[in-house]
Amino acid sequence: MIVDVLSGGVSGGTSIMYAALGETVSERAGIINLGTEGCMLMGAFAGFAVTSMTGSPWLGMLAAAAAGGVLALIHAILVVSRKANQFASGLSLLFLALGLTALYGSGYVGQKINAFDPIAIPGLSSIPFIGPILFEQNILTYISYFVAPLMWFIIFRTRIGLMLRTAGERSEVLTVNGYSVVKVRYIAVVTGGIFAGIGGAYLSVAYSQSWFENMIIGRGFIAVALVVFAAWDPLKVIGGAYLFGSALALSPVLQANGYEVNQFALDMLPFVLTLLLLVFLGKRAVNSSPAELRKVFDNARA
Amino acid sequence: MTTTVTPPDLSPTPDDGKSPLSQRLDVVGRLTGRWVGAILIALIIFSILIMTRGANPITVFSEAWANTIQSPFAMQQALVKAAPLILAALAVAIPARAGLVNVGGEGQLIIGAVAAAGVFQFTDGRLAGPVLIILMVIAGMVAGALWSGLAAFLRVTAEVNEAVSTLLLNFIALDLLLFLIYQPWKDPNGTGQPASPPLQDDAHLPLIGDTTVTIGIIIAVVCAILAWVLLKFTRWGFKLAVAGGNPEAARRAGLPVNRLLMSSMLLGGALAGLGGMIYYAGTEYQLRPGLLATIGYSAFLASWLVRHRPLLIIVSSVILAILIVSGDSLQIDSDLPAASINILTGLLLIAVLGWTASPWFKKKGSES
Repeated sequence: MIVDVLSGGVSGGTSIMYAALGETVSERAGIINLGTEGCMLMGAFAGFAVTSMTGSPWLGMLAAAAAGGVLALIHAILVVSRKANQFASGLSLLFLALGLTALYGSGYVGQKINAFDPIAIPGLSSIPFIGPILFEQNILTYISYFVAPLMWFIIFRTRIGLMLRTAGERSEVLTVNGYSVVKVRYIAVVTGGIFAGIGGAYLSVAYSQSWFENMIIGRGFIAVALVVFAAWDPLKVIGGAYLFGSALALSPVLQANGYEVNQFALDMLPFVLTLLLLVFLGKRAVNSSPAELRKVFDNARA
Repeated sequence: MTTTVTPPDLSPTPDDGKSPLSQRLDVVGRLTGRWVGAILIALIIFSILIMTRGANPITVFSEAWANTIQSPFAMQQALVKAAPLILAALAVAIPARAGLVNVGGEGQLIIGAVAAAGVFQFTDGRLAGPVLIILMVIAGMVAGALWSGLAAFLRVTAEVNEAVSTLLLNFIALDLLLFLIYQPWKDPNGTGQPASPPLQDDAHLPLIGDTTVTIGIIIAVVCAILAWVLLKFTRWGFKLAVAGGNPEAARRAGLPVNRLLMSSMLLGGALAGLGGMIYYAGTEYQLRPGLLATIGYSAFLASWLVRHRPLLIIVSSVILAILIVSGDSLQIDSDLPAASINILTGLLLIAVLGWTASPWFKKKGSES
């Protein structure tokens, strides 16, 4: 049973992980995007629709990435160029995504697609305990094992990463050195949207292999919260994402094993857990936050 | 920690010898212009989008117009929905004065409705209607205040950002509601989707005249006016604005910033909780899944659209409520999903946010 929960945690957490990794990039540049939820929704829909039309889940992922990126671009225009409030702008994206996916998605409800199914990796999957948890997953989950470390490397060990972090810490330094803060932030926010789109499509094309209205139900917001207590570190995002995935997987696994549980009491778990972690890690995490982001967060703090 | 130097705000103030009144009219005029422009742009994009779905926008709009604006019943429905919208929007506006972002209107509405239903659940018809109503009002307000207060408390003690925590609390409230109506509070005589038992008849909020509109809308409007007075004419309101404008200065001037933040959130949450109670005891009479749809999120937009001005919130809330109701027309008359109307809501806010970068919207870099 523990294996089931953890394996469900990995497969369910992958979606949150992609979104949270994207949001890490965006927030490292000083921009928080509550529209992550909306970008995931757009990705979930675009991924499903294009997979359904073309029969290729890879094209679906490409469309999902584009859809998430385009939606995030609106956020970038509003908050970077127009200096709009980041929280309000993010939520407007959510509304837009809810409406767009409802309008175009009604025909796709209940459809079946050629989805990403789990592939057991020969050899590795027969390792006791770890095998079924980590190596009986779908291809997108396998890719995600490499994405987080790669992102860590880019953010902390490359020139691009340095520029990204500078935009979030002391943007005037970029300006002084002749770089464009605006450009860096646009790229960061759109990158965040692309990853959120992939995370959303993971849900529709690989995890639940179906499309229904408002199918993200809060995962995007969890992803945003996750970035905070992962202290803007891609490697810590991995652990957090699997933790939430496991919390999400608990209720179906318990039910499958014949335990009488109220599903909704358990559905609360990931959100309560997020809140508790923010309380216990929040202060320490906030202290390590990018300075420009802190201004957005602590607008009323002295 | 770094110190960021932000240039002083050099935006020109419209103060060229005009009288305060004409300045005010200027502001109102500009706001109206922005609204009209935003609505137009949003409508045009929305038209193009529904055209791609094979619907004729002119038919859609005229159907929606006929069945919403020209239908007394639909307009009454809009007013019914506007009551919780206004109250939840005030729950955004008041903390916003102190620089707080309350995205938890949805959760605070839900928890207010849950608390009101809880009072009925535990008294089980033993109380007279009016007494029950009063108890439900108190319970709804207290529950709403606790819900937002929790976020405020975490903000001032553990530095948990209130936008994130109020969002998470929305989902917790929703799951709590579902948990209750699927098990402990499930109506044993109910058929179809689970719901709590219907509220006793004599505890329904009174209707205005022979309409279907309850006194809830009157309560909401009165609250908006009171909020306006509170923010504009009282010491508390002034302190709140100072704390929101420049917390560092406020703290040095000896203002109890944390207490101000807490009180603004508590008051906001209480109002949203009242909104939830009104929706329960005035419209729904029982808890059910999807009770509030996304009224709480619409309320966030309603407040942002008018830059958190309590009196204008009445206007923006009614407009958004009409939009929500017209979503039903979309579904029934034009066979488009009701949720498509969210496109219009989203576009509207995007247009208004993008239109102006006024000091009210700007985050001031006053932090060290």
